[in-house]
Amino acid sequence: MTKTGLAKTGMIDFRGVNKWFGSLNVLKDITLSVEPREVVVVCGPSGSGKSTLIRCVNGLEAIKNGDLVVDGQRLGDPATNMTQLRTEIGFVFQSFNLYPHKTALENVTLAPIHVRKIPRAEAEKAGRELLAKVGLADKVNAYPAQLSGGQQQRVAIARCLGMRPKIMLFDEPTSALDPEMISEVLDVMVAVAEEGMTMMVVTHEMGFARKVAQRVVFMDAGAIVESGTPDEFFSHPKTDRSRAFLSKILRH
Amino acid sequence: MIWQQLQSLAGSYPLALRGLGMTVLLSLISLVLGTLLGFALGILRTGGNRLISGLIGAWVDLIRGTPFLVQIFLIFFILPEFGIELDAFTAGIIALTNLAACFICEIVVAGIRSVPTGQVEAALASGLSRWQRMRQVVLPQAMRIVLPPLVGQYVLLIKDSSVVSAIGLTDLTRVGWLVVQRVPNGLLVFFLVGAGYFIVCYPLIMLARRLEQRMGAAHGEVQL
Repeated sequence: MTKTGLAKTGMIDFRGVNKWFGSLNVLKDITLSVEPREVVVVCGPSGSGKSTLIRCVNGLEAIKNGDLVVDGQRLGDPATNMTQLRTEIGFVFQSFNLYPHKTALENVTLAPIHVRKIPRAEAEKAGRELLAKVGLADKVNAYPAQLSGGQQQRVAIARCLGMRPKIMLFDEPTSALDPEMISEVLDVMVAVAEEGMTMMVVTHEMGFARKVAQRVVFMDAGAIVESGTPDEFFSHPKTDRSRAFLSKILRH
Repeated sequence: MIWQQLQSLAGSYPLALRGLGMTVLLSLISLVLGTLLGFALGILRTGGNRLISGLIGAWVDLIRGTPFLVQIFLIFFILPEFGIELDAFTAGIIALTNLAACFICEIVVAGIRSVPTGQVEAALASGLSRWQRMRQVVLPQAMRIVLPPLVGQYVLLIKDSSVVSAIGLTDLTRVGWLVVQRVPNGLLVFFLVGAGYFIVCYPLIMLARRLEQRMGAAHGEVQL
């Protein structure tokens, strides 16, 4: 199966997108197209706008001008049902944001039951399977406070998968984790990518990028500075800024 | 002499019970209605609509910034001027419900605002509607913050209900005024009236304290 050619327009299409926080231009003329089944890693120094970029895709942030088309629907268009579109987009947060008053299983089944209107028994069966898939079959009835960071993030990924989304967005999913828990989360993300999910991943995990990403996008000061295959980007960075960035994150 | 007074007081027993019943009934009805209305106002106040939020805020400030006695007089004596006749009981219920709703609105707003934005974003990202986000994610977490001050507020409102005696409702306080005309021992009579309120309020005070302790424990705070 070819990665490209499945659709003429991308699954996620930024065309000349700008965004400001007050007078600060946090996204500068972003043009980027993510194909179906493509995995794009977004990296860059802190404050470069990479989180803002993916938060725009499911409308957690609104864009100021330009076009952003996701799954064929233009964001900000009155005809676009944002709530509906969000059910097709999973979002994994840096700080997990699991619902603390609900068990792991309830976290996974909440949206399928209330948004997708799937019968509870069926949703719980699917939820258990998903939790087993992320290696947490024994934590079905645990509350988030009883789970480690790595386990919480895996529940959060299962929560997204429970909606059977077309796109998954990851906002620094391993940045809040202790080092020994990073790989268990990355392994789950690799498995999701290998099943053909369209993914945008903000991360500095270069091992993950090399393994599954088709493309690495490097951002600085709100603009896309460089974009290429992981090999091109890591071995032959083209700009001074990307070289400086890579020397910092690869030093250790 | 004190023996005679006590005998006479014992004769007022049915009246005192009626007064206590009226106080409990007034409080119960207006606290239930006030809680429902207060939650509705609190949810609307934190909703997206600036106009609605502003109007509720202004009304809450107005009610919180004026004496309850004045509010009752306005409802009971002024409204009939505009052709709205209310019996004292209905007027009392309306005034107390309104007061309860305004205080509870503020408590609910504080609770809703205490829920981290990440929770709302997670619910938003999974496609939950506005009401589903409120019902499934925000309110259950806000309740932990809301519950202790809510019960504390109930105690204050039960005591505030004594003000309705001013428009002639025979509640516990008014029974005190009636009895003291026959038994001229204000200290004794109003000591008993106070005791009546205390019997109603004390269980709630205990409940509020237990809820606060439970919440502190849940947050892993150090017990002093």
